[in-house]
Amino acid sequence: MIDVQGLRKQYGDLLAVDDVSFTAQPGAIFGLLGPNGAGKTTTIGCISGLLKPTAGRISLLGHDVATDGPASRRQLGVVPQELALYEDLSARENLLYWGSAYSMRGEPLNKRVQMVLELSGLLDRANEPVKKFSGGMKRRLNFACGIVHGPKALLLDEPTVGVDPQSRVRLLDLVREQTKQGTCVIYTTHYMEEAENLCDRLAIIDHGKIIATGTLAELRAILGERDVLRLTGLFDPTTVAEPLSRIDGIELVQAEQDMLTLAVANASGRLSDIFQALATAGAEVRETTLTQPSLESLFIKLTGKELRE
Amino acid sequence: MGFVWSTALKDWRRHRRDPVALVLWLGIPVFVGGLISMASGGRSGPAPQAHVLVADEDNSFLSGLLVGAMSQDAMGGLIQAEQVDQDEGRARMAKGEATAMLVIPRGFAQAVLMEQPSTLELVTNPSQTILPAIVEESLSILVDAAFYLHRLIGDDLREFAAGPAGSTSVFSDMRFAGISVRINQLLVRLSGYLFPPIVQLERGAEETVEADDADTVSVALLFLPGILFMALLFMAQGLSIDLWKERDQKTLRRVVVSPQHVLLFLFGKLLSGLGLMFVVCLVALTAGYLYFGLAFATLPLAVVWTLLSGALLMTIMWLLQLYASSQHAGGILTMVVMFPLMMAGGSFFPFEAMPAWMAAIGKRTPNGWALEQLKAILLESVEAGPFSIALVALIVVASVLFFFGALRLRSNFAQG
Ligand SMILES: Nc1ncnc2c1ncn2[C@@H]1O[C@H](COP(=O)(O)OP(=O)(O)OP(=O)(O)O)[C@@H](O)[C@H]1O
Ligand SMILES: [Mg+2]
Repeated sequence: MIDVQGLRKQYGDLLAVDDVSFTAQPGAIFGLLGPNGAGKTTTIGCISGLLKPTAGRISLLGHDVATDGPASRRQLGVVPQELALYEDLSARENLLYWGSAYSMRGEPLNKRVQMVLELSGLLDRANEPVKKFSGGMKRRLNFACGIVHGPKALLLDEPTVGVDPQSRVRLLDLVREQTKQGTCVIYTTHYMEEAENLCDRLAIIDHGKIIATGTLAELRAILGERDVLRLTGLFDPTTVAEPLSRIDGIELVQAEQDMLTLAVANASGRLSDIFQALATAGAEVRETTLTQPSLESLFIKLTGKELRE
Repeated sequence: MGFVWSTALKDWRRHRRDPVALVLWLGIPVFVGGLISMASGGRSGPAPQAHVLVADEDNSFLSGLLVGAMSQDAMGGLIQAEQVDQDEGRARMAKGEATAMLVIPRGFAQAVLMEQPSTLELVTNPSQTILPAIVEESLSILVDAAFYLHRLIGDDLREFAAGPAGSTSVFSDMRFAGISVRINQLLVRLSGYLFPPIVQLERGAEETVEADDADTVSVALLFLPGILFMALLFMAQGLSIDLWKERDQKTLRRVVVSPQHVLLFLFGKLLSGLGLMFVVCLVALTAGYLYFGLAFATLPLAVVWTLLSGALLMTIMWLLQLYASSQHAGGILTMVVMFPLMMAGGSFFPFEAMPAWMAAIGKRTPNGWALEQLKAILLESVEAGPFSIALVALIVVASVLFFFGALRLRSNFAQG
């Protein structure tokens, strides 16, 4: 179990992480979802002991990270956002070295390295220097280095960025595999689909603060069973609000010159009402997109902006 | 202990795959050593010399300085510079007539003064191996030095380059005198470091030879430990850069988030460095012992002492790197410390050939002090009492520096 309570991290004037609390359970994947600069990496850094929190308590598998650092890290695997590999060494040599950092050696280490190479699909290139690898292969090795010692807690910081779809599926399978063995996983990402498919529980984080947390179903419930309707065209944000507000159960989430976002229950049945209302306001609609409630729409609702900017 | 060992092994593997650095660290001292021993009258025959063609398109005060420094730098006439125009130079390079050609582009001085990026082009002769590398290395040191000089007197230089103010077509005598005096003062202050007294070297060495020519073996012997320490300093400086590599490729962070203490990691790195130094020192000392007919009984002690000194030099270089703000700053800082240490510490010319006051200072540098002890070991003149104190002092100081290095690495450096 990883338990984070009241975590804060300040860089000069900037509060990168602001009173973040959550608990990640063993055998489950806890997602940290947020845009660039939200504070995901900083949170991971504090849990792993790389950064010293300004305030807050972190308990990692029963050990207090601040007072019991080395013990807390013995069963921890970290897959950093930025590659952390020896470019001059081969994939196997990298894995052997990082295994040794967790006091593994001899035959058990060799076996484990062999297995991890196979899992990450790098077996046939195992003895080549890493600098000859493609970006995606380096990512997979970066991942492999984090799990070589079979950790009980695993911190994954955007491990699939820059990985092709096939390798991505493979990596995500690997993560699920780890979880089945009882590993407690924290997974940061800004990919909605990944978070929706992979995570058992989620926290949405923005500007260092957690703005929503729960299971996927719980988060969807925050939106109500409403669809998200996105209209592009030409709008006058000041005049469209009034006629729309006269329609029941409709919420104007976002209004801009060229785009409107609405939360509507049973949207498909009410399109004509909406178009009519817009026509009276002199708006011109060019394109309509209707989406089921998703993390994306939740994020827009909570922060008033899109996740991927 | 397993992690220490695997860290050392991992670093050996990495060094083995970067042989150019190894060749440079060893090549330069061996080369300089060869030159010095020839200069001191050991053997006759022309010294190998790098012939560098310089195409100075800029023709400025600053490019002139660079060309000047290039042809009389610390390597003691190792580099012979010849001014050519660019086309002629390229033609001659194509015929393989020179070691390298340096092209100083038009506007170079202006760019440097205004702190804008500028590029020097160095064309090297592919059929020569060591010499072009040495030219390249010295040039990079000079460029760093220029950077420094600029930091120190940049304002004066800028004023100088901008030309006289207002309508007057010349600097007033006063202004001109002011600037010149300031630059002069600075050069005088720096000259001791920047321009080693190469000429005095020969004279000094010859005087010593005359003074006790009955004992020529010991005079030649004086150079061996100095050159060995030069190699150690080069290696310590070169190896210290690896901390930045570990930081840049983020592997340091991985170490920090592992359960291992950074002390063990750093100790592994120290071991790997000492392993390389061990090979160098064993070869150099064994050759020296054979050549000078020394008693082999002292060899183990000489090796141990040299390695411990190497460890001290490495921890010093590490600390400098760990407190530098960037890799570039770290590179300059370690160089700026290394060269004076080498010159003052008896690596370029022995204490016996220095003026007394200089030798007195030199023997108080860490490497100069360690070098004196090594000489005593070679000449079988160590006394057990003082030597044990020196040994303990060396170990204690190196350990303390090492410990501070590890702290700094953990608390600050690794997070970058
Ligand atoms: N060493 C540092 N010094 C100062 N500010 C920092 C430092 N590291 C991060 N920050 C700031 O802290 C905030 C959070 O950064 P963090 O790297 O945790 O975001 P993130 O959620 O991981 O973003 P991304 O998706 O881009 O990786 C950002 O505003 C960033 O600029
Ligand atoms: Mg991040």
